[in-house]
Amino acid sequence: MISLSKHKYVSRTNGLISKIIIQAGMILISAIIILPIFSIINFSFKTRTELFVSSPFSLPHNLYWDNYFNALYRLNIGTTFINTVAYTFISVIIIVILSGASAWVITRNRHKFYKFSYIYYLIGILIPFQALFLPIYIIGFKLQLVNTAYGLIFMYVATGISFGVFVMSSFISQVPIELEEAASIDGCSIFRTYFTIVMPLLQPAIATLIIMQSFIIWNDYLLASLFVSSGNLKTLNVNFQQLFSSTASDYSTAMAGIVITIIPIITLFLVLQKYIVKGIMEGSLKG
Amino acid sequence: MRNNVKNTVKNQAQYIVLLLPGLLIFTIGLIFPIILDCYYSFTSWNGFTKEVPWSGFANYIKIFTDPFALNAWVFTIKFTIGNTIIQNVFALLFAVIIDNIHFGKAFYRAILFVPCLIAPLVVGFIWTHMYGDVLPSLNSLLHMHINYKLFGSPRSVLTGLLIVNNWQWIGYWMMIYLANLQSIPKELYEASSVDGASFFSQFWYITIPMLAPAFTICIVGITLGSLRVYDLLVSSTEGGPGRASTSIIYYIYTSSISGRQYGYGSALSMSVLLVLLIIAIIQLSILRKREIQL
Amino acid sequence: MRKASFLSVLIILAMFITLSAWGQGKVITLKILDGQSTTDAGMEKLIDEALAKKYPDIKLDWDIGDWGKTFQPKMQQYLQSGLPDIMIGKGQDVPTYANLGVLANLTGKPYLKNVIPAAVGSGTVKGKVYGVVFNALYQGVYYNRKLFSDNNIHIPKTQAQLLDVINKLKSLGITPFETHFKDTWSIGNITMQFAINDVFNKYHNWGDQFRAGKVNFATSPEYRACYMYNKLIYDNTWKDDTFSMDQIKADTLMVQGKAGMKVSGSWSIQNFQSVDPDFDFGIFPFPNQTGNAKLIFEPNITIMVSKNTKYMEAVDKVISLIIGDKELAEKIFNLTKTASMLKKAGPTYNNPSQKDIDSYASKNMIVDANTGNTQLVWGGFQDQNAQDIAAWLQGQMTIDQILKAADSRRSASK
Repeated sequence: MISLSKHKYVSRTNGLISKIIIQAGMILISAIIILPIFSIINFSFKTRTELFVSSPFSLPHNLYWDNYFNALYRLNIGTTFINTVAYTFISVIIIVILSGASAWVITRNRHKFYKFSYIYYLIGILIPFQALFLPIYIIGFKLQLVNTAYGLIFMYVATGISFGVFVMSSFISQVPIELEEAASIDGCSIFRTYFTIVMPLLQPAIATLIIMQSFIIWNDYLLASLFVSSGNLKTLNVNFQQLFSSTASDYSTAMAGIVITIIPIITLFLVLQKYIVKGIMEGSLKG
Repeated sequence: MRNNVKNTVKNQAQYIVLLLPGLLIFTIGLIFPIILDCYYSFTSWNGFTKEVPWSGFANYIKIFTDPFALNAWVFTIKFTIGNTIIQNVFALLFAVIIDNIHFGKAFYRAILFVPCLIAPLVVGFIWTHMYGDVLPSLNSLLHMHINYKLFGSPRSVLTGLLIVNNWQWIGYWMMIYLANLQSIPKELYEASSVDGASFFSQFWYITIPMLAPAFTICIVGITLGSLRVYDLLVSSTEGGPGRASTSIIYYIYTSSISGRQYGYGSALSMSVLLVLLIIAIIQLSILRKREIQL
Repeated sequence: MRKASFLSVLIILAMFITLSAWGQGKVITLKILDGQSTTDAGMEKLIDEALAKKYPDIKLDWDIGDWGKTFQPKMQQYLQSGLPDIMIGKGQDVPTYANLGVLANLTGKPYLKNVIPAAVGSGTVKGKVYGVVFNALYQGVYYNRKLFSDNNIHIPKTQAQLLDVINKLKSLGITPFETHFKDTWSIGNITMQFAINDVFNKYHNWGDQFRAGKVNFATSPEYRACYMYNKLIYDNTWKDDTFSMDQIKADTLMVQGKAGMKVSGSWSIQNFQSVDPDFDFGIFPFPNQTGNAKLIFEPNITIMVSKNTKYMEAVDKVISLIIGDKELAEKIFNLTKTASMLKKAGPTYNNPSQKDIDSYASKNMIVDANTGNTQLVWGGFQDQNAQDIAAWLQGQMTIDQILKAADSRRSASK
């Protein structure tokens, strides 16, 4: 009898040895992957002199928290953290609503216009908006969107919606059209149908999209640095770049800054692992 | 799918109202800039002055005679091909291993995935220090003489960047392969085992064909992402040493801004857009065909 | 229900952001763009503190970035939408932006009396003052004074003497030059230092002639010599490491005595002294072809004002604070380790190279860097040439190719 509960492939007679080798290999690989992160944390607790003089592998003498205080001040954490969270949160919600709406309308209608809209949106996925920074700025300025919170959110939505439509349209097949038809017969307007019937059924898609878009926007540097220059509107990454270049001689502060920004994300991921993984998996299966 | 909801004017209007805001924001935010950029590509504007002098196709012709543009494309293409092969192979490899491993599934999965959560800007900075300080000190610890300073020489900088980029993204694509692996029906394997199939032939004849859609996504995704590399370079090699790691987007930046040749930069970005479109279309049609075949 | 709670969250967040962006009441907030060098980090804190004490109703909204990488791109952006009230750049920026007609004319402002004439002179274009210089850097070859004196090494004045010094250091097992070519800007900087003493001293308007097509990099023996000095230094430094070594590491090695000289400027002092506050260093000008090189003086932090600022009075107050408040000025000089352009305030830290500077000054052997820097701009020209030089040193291009490449950028040189 072949045991198939955990393995897909036939067990070999020397299964144990190969299992041990594979485990050892994976542990080694994990160590290599974690090494950079460990190094940053290590650096972040060292003083400037220790940085120059001691080996990168040696642990710091004391936990030098000053770097963290410096980073907190330079990164203006209170404001920038809230800003980044707010931009991300609001942009993602708008993207979810609008791309869901667009994807649903496109899938439910056969007119050529809708097919064209779909391809129109998809082209957006290919556009390298990094290269378009100056016209984006000029247009943003002409529309008075520059240096405002809503301007930056506008740009995040504009650059994120294509991918949103793509993901949503793969999930639309999960919404039984019979429900919509029944609702329409009952007198539901299209609007109501969308918000009260379709969107709740798109939960997995929404979850996937929220997760994927959130970390794209959270890690964005280019658009944020382009659109907001007022100190109280800046994001974490923008202040980061400042920290990298202007403290070229003091990178222990920069290291502390990095730790401050990646710890919340990594923690969030570890906590929500199950849902995030599920989301990505479902997203990719539909794609 | 047949939509039996009544096709009234009221309904049509509401459909359009739902569609329009997204379409509008997308057009204003992304399409208008492309049109504007296209206009600038026919000028010799320097990005500063009020005057925007027309220059016709001069910029486009320059692309073909500019050795630096060629250099940037060569690097970008090498980087893309390197990534596409390495990331796909290893992502699949790790996915298979994790899928079959007894202990630590979730642990290894998390560890491999975490690097992609870090902003590319930060990743570049981290690895500059890895190559410059941390890894070289391994030599004294382990009494070896490996040259870790991959960013320091034009011959090794591509390797250095490939390692960094793969460190960051292998976990991400691995997740996708993992998802697809886990959706392959076990009966297929059971049936073939009964028939006496070996590990490798199972892999070749069952696993790989069933992964065809995943291949499509991963290959297209990795290719497009690699062609656009920029953030990573800003905080690590800055296109150097010399010009050995200048990607095409990075070159657009330097010629538009510090080079103050905004018109030329626009022409370059138009060309990048075109190349991306062509590559995506080619890849998608080839890969979709194979999906259907397999 | 879902929709309602979604919306309410949206509204609350929107309100929050709008409110926090609106600021408080009667405070005037001036927008200020600051292109910093690595040593300037923290300057803004000092200025904010002083400002809060003296003019609490004026606040500064800082947009800070590395001068070399972000000042010009930001100016490019702002030119489209409106310049910040105050811009802090370098001396060479004044002609560029004054000629675009976007800077305020500062001639006759009372605070100008606080600075020495050279500070005003550097910021003058066509007879009008558009920028005020706050501090200055000295550039040349920093050397380990103790190392030189212990081994009887004399300060070289000619190339031949420099070669002697190099050989002497090599025989002692010490790397002659400290470099960190990973920072391509350092290549650009030293090349301009060489050019100031080999090209621009002979031909005072070489830049204009270059743009007019009368002279070329490819056919200029003087500029070729400048490029070749880079090779001399590259051959006598830690070749394998220089393209991956960052500045602090390199400076640390110098302080530890592993290298004897560094072609650089005042910005290195901050690092030297943070590794070892008692490091004894001196400075001499890099020898030129004719044996009469001068020590280079570069006007550094330059304050400019937007022509369209709505708060000229507040701007005046801020500038007069920065260049008039002795305590603030001293703190900034001591932070950045630079020289002062103010009449009544100067750095109070111990600068071991000061005696060399004073000696060159007394012999009139000091030259203004802007004799070269304003003729060939940094962004788009000098920095691109520097990247080419890096490529050449690494064997990717030939010297003729890079000289020709410099010529091909003629139109971007101003």
